[in-house]
Amino acid sequence: MSKTLKGITLKGSAELVAEFFSFGINSILYQRGIYPAETFTRVTQYDMSLQLTTDAKLKNYLTNVISQLKEWLFDCTVQKLVVVITCLETNEVLERWQFDLECDKTFFLPDQCKYESIQEEIRSVIRQITATVTFLPLLETACAFDLLIYTDKDLEVPEQWEESGPQLIDQSEEVRLRSFTTTIHKVNSMVAYKRTNST
Amino acid sequence: MDDMEDTTIFSTLKSFKSLISGPDHSLLETEPAYGRSDLQKLYTKRVELEEAAERVRSHTSLLQLTQEKQQMELSHKRARIELEKEAHSSSRDLQREIDRNRELLLKIRRLEEREEKANQALNEQMENNKALKRNLEELHKKANVKDSKLTEADQMISELKDETRRLNQKIQIQESKFSTQNLEIQALQEQLDVQRKKYQDVSQRYQNLQSSHSISTESELKMKELERRLALQEQDSVIVKNMKSEMVRLPELEREIKRLREENCFLRETKENNSLLKEETEGLRKKLERVERVMEEKLKAELEKEKLEQELQAWENIGQAAGLNIRKPEDLSREVIQIQQRELNLKQQNYTLNSRKAIDEVAQTQAGAGHLKAKFLELKLVLLYVGQERDGMRAILESYDSELATSEYSPQLMFRVKEAEDMLQKVQAHNTEMETQLSKAQEEAGSFKLQVQMMTAELEALKEQHVSNAEKNTLATAEEVSSLRQKIEELEAERQRLEEQNNILEMRLERHNLQGDYDPVKTKVIHLQMNPTSIAKQQHAEEVEQLRLECQLLRDRIRKIEAGGGVTKDDTTLIIPPSQEILDLRKQMESAELKNQRLKEVFQKKIQEFRTACYVLTGYQIDITVENQYRLTSVYAEHMEDSLLFKSTGPVGSGSMQLLETDFSRTLTGLVDLHLFHQKSIPVFLSAVTIELFSRQTVT
Repeated sequence: MSKTLKGITLKGSAELVAEFFSFGINSILYQRGIYPAETFTRVTQYDMSLQLTTDAKLKNYLTNVISQLKEWLFDCTVQKLVVVITCLETNEVLERWQFDLECDKTFFLPDQCKYESIQEEIRSVIRQITATVTFLPLLETACAFDLLIYTDKDLEVPEQWEESGPQLIDQSEEVRLRSFTTTIHKVNSMVAYKRTNST
Repeated sequence: MDDMEDTTIFSTLKSFKSLISGPDHSLLETEPAYGRSDLQKLYTKRVELEEAAERVRSHTSLLQLTQEKQQMELSHKRARIELEKEAHSSSRDLQREIDRNRELLLKIRRLEEREEKANQALNEQMENNKALKRNLEELHKKANVKDSKLTEADQMISELKDETRRLNQKIQIQESKFSTQNLEIQALQEQLDVQRKKYQDVSQRYQNLQSSHSISTESELKMKELERRLALQEQDSVIVKNMKSEMVRLPELEREIKRLREENCFLRETKENNSLLKEETEGLRKKLERVERVMEEKLKAELEKEKLEQELQAWENIGQAAGLNIRKPEDLSREVIQIQQRELNLKQQNYTLNSRKAIDEVAQTQAGAGHLKAKFLELKLVLLYVGQERDGMRAILESYDSELATSEYSPQLMFRVKEAEDMLQKVQAHNTEMETQLSKAQEEAGSFKLQVQMMTAELEALKEQHVSNAEKNTLATAEEVSSLRQKIEELEAERQRLEEQNNILEMRLERHNLQGDYDPVKTKVIHLQMNPTSIAKQQHAEEVEQLRLECQLLRDRIRKIEAGGGVTKDDTTLIIPPSQEILDLRKQMESAELKNQRLKEVFQKKIQEFRTACYVLTGYQIDITVENQYRLTSVYAEHMEDSLLFKSTGPVGSGSMQLLETDFSRTLTGLVDLHLFHQKSIPVFLSAVTIELFSRQTVT
C-alpha cells in the first residue's frame, strides 16, 4: 500500500478495512483490559503507536476471523462487525463495539483518493476509541470477547463458523463514533454499553 | 449621740465664752462709767455671773441629764437589743423545742405503732403459742397413744417370743420326727428301689410283649396285603386274557380305521362338491328369476309398443284431422318452437321498443307510450291467438278422445290425458311468462316514463343553470377555491404529521441499528465456533467444577480428621507427608494394640481353663451375675435354673459370703440350717448339696 497509490481498488479497500479492524480490535482489547497489559506489545501503525497482542491463541483467532472478513469484504456481503464483551460470571453482555459497513458496489476509480486522508480518518477513529474508554463504565469482573459478523442471509456459512444471536445489551446507552471511508467501503463505528444503575 | 453631746458641749462652751466675753464687752464698753456703778456693776456682774453659773449649772445639769438620758436610751436600746436577741434566741429555742416536740410526737407515734405491731405480734405469737401448745398436746396425746401402742406391741412381742419359743420347741419335736421319718423314708426308698427293679422287669416284659404284638400285627397286615395282591393278580390275569382277545381284534380295527378315513376324505370332497353345486343351483335359480322378469318386461314392452304404435297412428291422424301439417311429433315441436320463436320475436320487439324509448325519451315519450300500448294490444292479440290455439289443441284432443271408444279405453286415455295436461301446463307456463313479460314491459314503460320526466326536469334545471350560470359563476369559483384550500390545508397537515412519524421511525431505526438490531430476512449473524468467549466460559466452568471437587475433598478430609482424631488412612488427594515422629508413634500404637490383643486372648484362654477346671473339680459353675454376687450352678442340678446365690459382704478380698434366697435354696433348708447356721461352713454345705443332688440323680 504505497503512498503514491492514485486510485484504490476493491481488493485494496478490503485490505485496508481488514487491517483497520485488526488494529482496532487489538486496541479495544488492550484498553478494556480483556487481556492483561503485559501480553501486548507496542507497534507503529498509521503514524501512531498501537498495542498488538502476543498471545498465540488470540492471534490465531484474530487472523482467522480477519482473513475470512477480508474475503467477504471483497464480495461485499458483510454488513456489520461487532465486538461483544461478556462478563464470565453472569453471562451478561456488557459492551458492544459495532462497526457498520457500507459497500459501494458501483465502484469506480475516483480521481483523487489519497491514502493519507484515509489514514488520517482511521487515526482519528482509533484515537476516539481510546478516548471513549474514559467514560465507559469499569469492567470489574473477568470478561471475554467475541466477534460477530452480520452478513447477507444467503451467504454460505463456512465450516468452522456457526450462526448466533445478536447478543444485544439489555438497557444500553449508545454513542456514535467517527466514521471513515475508502470510497468503496464506508465504516461507521459506535459503542453500546450497559447502563449502570448509578447513572 | 456622742456627737450630739459634743456639739451640745461645744455649744454650751461657746455660749459660756460668749457670756464671759459679753460681760467683758459690756464691761469694756461701759468702762468710762465709774463710780457706784462699779458696785452695781460688780453686783450685776456677780448676779450675771451667778446667773451664768446657774445657767451653766443648769446647762451642765441639762447636759448631764441629757447624757444620762442618752445613756439611758443607749442602755435602753442595748437592753432592747439584748431583749430582742434574747427574744430571737428564745423564739429559736421555742422553735427548736417545737420541732423537738414534733419529732418526739412522731417518735411517740412510731413507738406507739411499734407497740401496736408488737402487741399484734405478741398476740399472734400468743396465738401461735396456743396453737403450738395445742399441737403439743395433740402430739403428746399421740405420743401417749403411741406409747400405749408400743406397750401393746411390746406385749405382743413378748407374746410372740413366747410363741416362737413354743414353736421352736415344736420344731425340735418335729425335727426329731422328721429324722425318724427320714429313716422311714430311707427304708421306703429301698423298697422303692426293689419295686422299681420289678417294675423295670415288668416293663421289659411288657415291651417284649408289645414288640411281639406289633410283630404279629405286622405279619397279619402283611398277610392281608398278600391276599389283596393275590386278588389283584387274579383280576389282572382276567384282564390280561380279555386284553389278549382284544389284541387279536386290533388289526381288523386298524383296517376299519383306514377305511373310515378314506370314506371321510371322500365325504369331505363330496361335501365341497355339494357346496359348489349348491352355489351353482342358486346362481341358476337367480338367473331363472331374472329371465322370467325379463320375459315379463318383454311382454310389457310389447304391449307398450303396441300402444305407442296406436298412439302414433292417432297423432298422425291428428295431424291429418287438424290440418296443421303434423305427421310426427317433430312437427308439433316445430309448431311449439314456432310459437316460442314468435314469443322471442315479440320479446325482441319489446326490447327494441324499450331501446327506442331510451334513445327517443325526451322527444317521443308519449309516442313511445302509444307504441307500447299498440304493442301491448298486439301482445294481447298474440295471447288471444295462443289461447285460441290452445283451445284448438284441447278441442283436437277432445275430439281425439271422443273418437276412440273401443278397447284399452282407460289407460290410453289416462296417458293421453296426462300428455294433454302436460301440454296444458306448458302452455299455461308460457302464458304466465308472457304475462310477466307484459307486466315487465309495463313496468319498464312506467320507469321510462319516470326517466323521461326526470330527464325533462334535468333539462329544465340545466336550462335554468345555463341561465343563472352567468350570475353564479364567481360564487361557484369562490366556493371551489375555498374547498380546494381546505383540502390543501388538510393535506399539508397530514404531510407534516407523516413527516414527524417518519422522523420518529427513522430515529428508532437508527437507535435499533446502533443497538445492533438486524432484519432477519436479509441478514444473519455468524461467529466462529471456537471463539474466546466460549473457550473462556468452558474454562470458567471447568475451574468452578475443579474448585468444587477440591472443596468437597477438603471438607471430607476435615470431617474425618475431626472424627478420627489423627490417623486418616483414606485416599485423599491432598496427602500431607507424615513426619517421622508420627510414623514412630503410629508404630508404637500398633505394637501396643497387638500386645493388648494378645494379652486379652491369653487371659481369656486362661480364665476359661480355670473355670472349666473349677467346674469339673468342685462340681459348681460359678458366675458373677451382679457386682459382689456369685451364682453357683451344680453339675448334678435337675433343672437349669437351680442355682445358689452368694453375696460377698464386708471388704473386698475378705471372703465372707452370705447365701441369698433362691427357689432352689428353699428346697435345701435342712442343709442350710445344718451346715450354714450350725456348722457355719460354706464348703461343707456345697459338698452336701452336691452329694444330695448326686444321690437324687442316680437311683441305683
